[in-house]
Amino acid sequence: MQVQRGTSPPLHLHFSAKIMTGPIIKASSLRKTFRISTGGLFRRNRRTIHAVDGIDFTIQSGELIGYLGPNGAGKSTTIKMLTGLLVPTSGELLVNGRVPWRERIAHVAGIGAVFGQRTTLWWDLPVIESLELLRHVYKVPGARFLDNLAEFTEMLEMGPFLDNPVRTLSLGQRMRADLAAALLHDPAILFLDEPTIGLDVVARERIRRFIQHVNRARGTTVVLTTHDLSDVEKLCERVLIIDRGSLLFDGGLNELKTRFGGRRELVVDLAEPYDDVSVPGAEVIAREELRVSYAFDRNDLSASELIRRVSGRYRIRDLEVKEPDIEATVRRIYEERLLDSKK
Amino acid sequence: MTHTLRIYLRLLRVQFRSQLQYRASFVFLLFGTGLTASLEFASLALVLQRFDTIRGWTVAEVAFLYGLVEIAFGLMDMVFSGFDPQRFGLEVRKGTFDQILLRPISPTVQVLGSDLALRRIGRILTGAAIFAFAISRVSIAWTPVKLVLVPVMVVSMVLFFGGLFMIGATIAFWTVESIEVMNIVTYGGAYVISHPMHIYQRWLRGFFTYILPAIFLNYYPALFILGKTDPLGVPAWGPYAAPLVGVGVLLAALWFWRFGIRNYQSTGT
Amino acid sequence: MRLFLEIFIRSVRRQMTYRATILAGLATNYIFGLFRIAILLALYGDRQSVAGVDIDGAVTYMVLIQALIGFLSMFSWFDLMQSVYTGEVSGDLLKPISLYTLWMARDLGRAAVQFVFRGLLIFALYLPFFDLAYPAGAGQWLGLAIVIVLGWAVSFSWRFLVNLFAFWSPNALGIGRFLFILSWFFSGFLMPLRYYPDWVVEIANLTPFPYMMNVVLDVFIGVLTGPDLFAVVMVQLAWIAALGLAGQVVLRAGVRRLVILGG
Repeated sequence: MQVQRGTSPPLHLHFSAKIMTGPIIKASSLRKTFRISTGGLFRRNRRTIHAVDGIDFTIQSGELIGYLGPNGAGKSTTIKMLTGLLVPTSGELLVNGRVPWRERIAHVAGIGAVFGQRTTLWWDLPVIESLELLRHVYKVPGARFLDNLAEFTEMLEMGPFLDNPVRTLSLGQRMRADLAAALLHDPAILFLDEPTIGLDVVARERIRRFIQHVNRARGTTVVLTTHDLSDVEKLCERVLIIDRGSLLFDGGLNELKTRFGGRRELVVDLAEPYDDVSVPGAEVIAREELRVSYAFDRNDLSASELIRRVSGRYRIRDLEVKEPDIEATVRRIYEERLLDSKK
Repeated sequence: MTHTLRIYLRLLRVQFRSQLQYRASFVFLLFGTGLTASLEFASLALVLQRFDTIRGWTVAEVAFLYGLVEIAFGLMDMVFSGFDPQRFGLEVRKGTFDQILLRPISPTVQVLGSDLALRRIGRILTGAAIFAFAISRVSIAWTPVKLVLVPVMVVSMVLFFGGLFMIGATIAFWTVESIEVMNIVTYGGAYVISHPMHIYQRWLRGFFTYILPAIFLNYYPALFILGKTDPLGVPAWGPYAAPLVGVGVLLAALWFWRFGIRNYQSTGT
Repeated sequence: MRLFLEIFIRSVRRQMTYRATILAGLATNYIFGLFRIAILLALYGDRQSVAGVDIDGAVTYMVLIQALIGFLSMFSWFDLMQSVYTGEVSGDLLKPISLYTLWMARDLGRAAVQFVFRGLLIFALYLPFFDLAYPAGAGQWLGLAIVIVLGWAVSFSWRFLVNLFAFWSPNALGIGRFLFILSWFFSGFLMPLRYYPDWVVEIANLTPFPYMMNVVLDVFIGVLTGPDLFAVVMVQLAWIAALGLAGQVVLRAGVRRLVILGG
């Protein structure tokens, strides 16, 4: 199921990130259970929640991974373990050659993270001074800092607001500043949690391009969690899907579509009306005057074969093949899992 | 170590700059903390006009105790304001503490550097004025030992109350709703030791002698400096134990704080 | 009136969800009260009575002060200010009820919960350990009830007015804190006013602050009775009218400003 992809060679040397080929993150039987107590001071009900219930995965250096799952699936618990914020209940985890929580300070020096709508920047400071301060926190050499700053400023178009206090920035501007802040020290891995949430189309596109650039040109491994599946579609070649603490899927985006994508759709505009428009191997799912929609399974029938069959029987004016969108695909995966657990 | 110290100083500089950006508000807050301290003391001083003394202590003698506590608590509240339990509890809830753990610098230093309540200067100055009033009215037979003892008392109290703030902040990892109870020992402790401690019932004095030994921070050394006696007597080493209590509480607090962070990392609050 | 009741009930329910906070506040106020009683008793020394207040009365003073903190929200109340800063006030302004009445209903709910679960409870917890002074006779109890309710109304009208600064300044919190601190001194919260020299009392009586807390204390321990009590009730009513009116005027100006600046 694992997608092998050649790690793209980094264009320049990183000063702190170790260049590694091979696995940069390795989790085996990773588990995190929380004990929740509810109720008043005296009558407490204890409940155990398996937020992450024994998952295994390996991420190669240089990969750009989409990490998906519905709310409460265990996504952010996993990310918190990977970034050293949480100690796993059991299992093994090696990130960038270290056990994150055991050597937390050394570990966080080598990673970057942008967590949703929380900013790491200082509210009242101009962006540039926040970045300066982080430069000292991460001990980034002066020349390296200036190079990175110039590159990020240009790519993220931060010039116009570099001198503005963070509190005056728009959401999109702040996200860009946070991205720059997370990458100043050339981390080997970048964790992004919902980096495009609440942004407009243009801002979203700009941030996607930047993430892609960081991954390709710098060889930074990126782990991206998001609700917005168009992010995943545009950026990721490999996705991990988690639900109720277990990994449901680990593989390429195409494989995801092929295996779970369900049925494709062929929409045909007929040239003249027919009483019967059926075709073997496909199901008529909608019919509106001259327009007919067929659903078909990619494993049973190719699109060209279906078109051949339809055009062999009826006169066609126009046609269109619709791929199932990833949103529907992922929803289907969750639903199937739902069925599984009922058995 | 020097790197961490430099970062701490940089973080403090950020605090300076942020707070001075809202100048009008800052001035009001500055006067506000000064006014709080002044009015609280004024209310005691004014009623002492009617009552004369508080079990044999004059207003100036009480001012000696009171002024030192105000100076020390104001200093502490300024330096340790990042650990102010209520404030810190809210930060934890907002997830700000995660951001702190994501940076390769000691979390203790980052929390210390996350706030520097400059407005407390108002309280510190008021405390200094109250203390100045005290030593101008009370004739003290100053000796070198007594002169050294005064700053030692202040520093010990800063460490003591700073430690209590850290303990409160650590508890805030678990609960924010009930954290106000910490005020009993922080603000309440400061209130109690601002007054001569022979006035309290046995249980209260006992608590602040044997359980939370704040009596050594202010009252015992002040008795020695002012040349006063206590009906229950004072052990010979009593006036000099303040640093021990201050450092002891701070060390205990640091240990507890570290324990709290470890727990936070395993429970994810 | 129905809307007022609904908002009141919702506010009560909301307050009730903060049980842990109320309990913590109760414990803190209670223990602080013990410290304050110790200090006041030390001031009394061997005297039986000072300024017409005997020892039981003195202890009762401190118990009442501690019991009233939550009810009158003595330490701070900036809910309205926050709603201006977060913009929630725009939604409130669309409701078919004046902002003043709306917040009054909310604050009444808050105060009611604090009165019962903090005030009465604190008082009850002191009962076994101290001899307290009580109002003598039904008339005094009735006077007390009126003075307490009006005391809350003075307090609310004043707090409402202070919060309106938010319409003009983005940093009104500093001013607000400052005014709250003044209220501690003049309301009798730091020390009941009877113990101060006369000139202090005269200044205090020019402000609305004694009519929030201090009069309640005096009526309870029975040093404020009869015609004096009646006069105090009149002054309370006058302050409620004056502060309420000022609140309306300032609110109107503030809303106009909000509309012009587009919030």
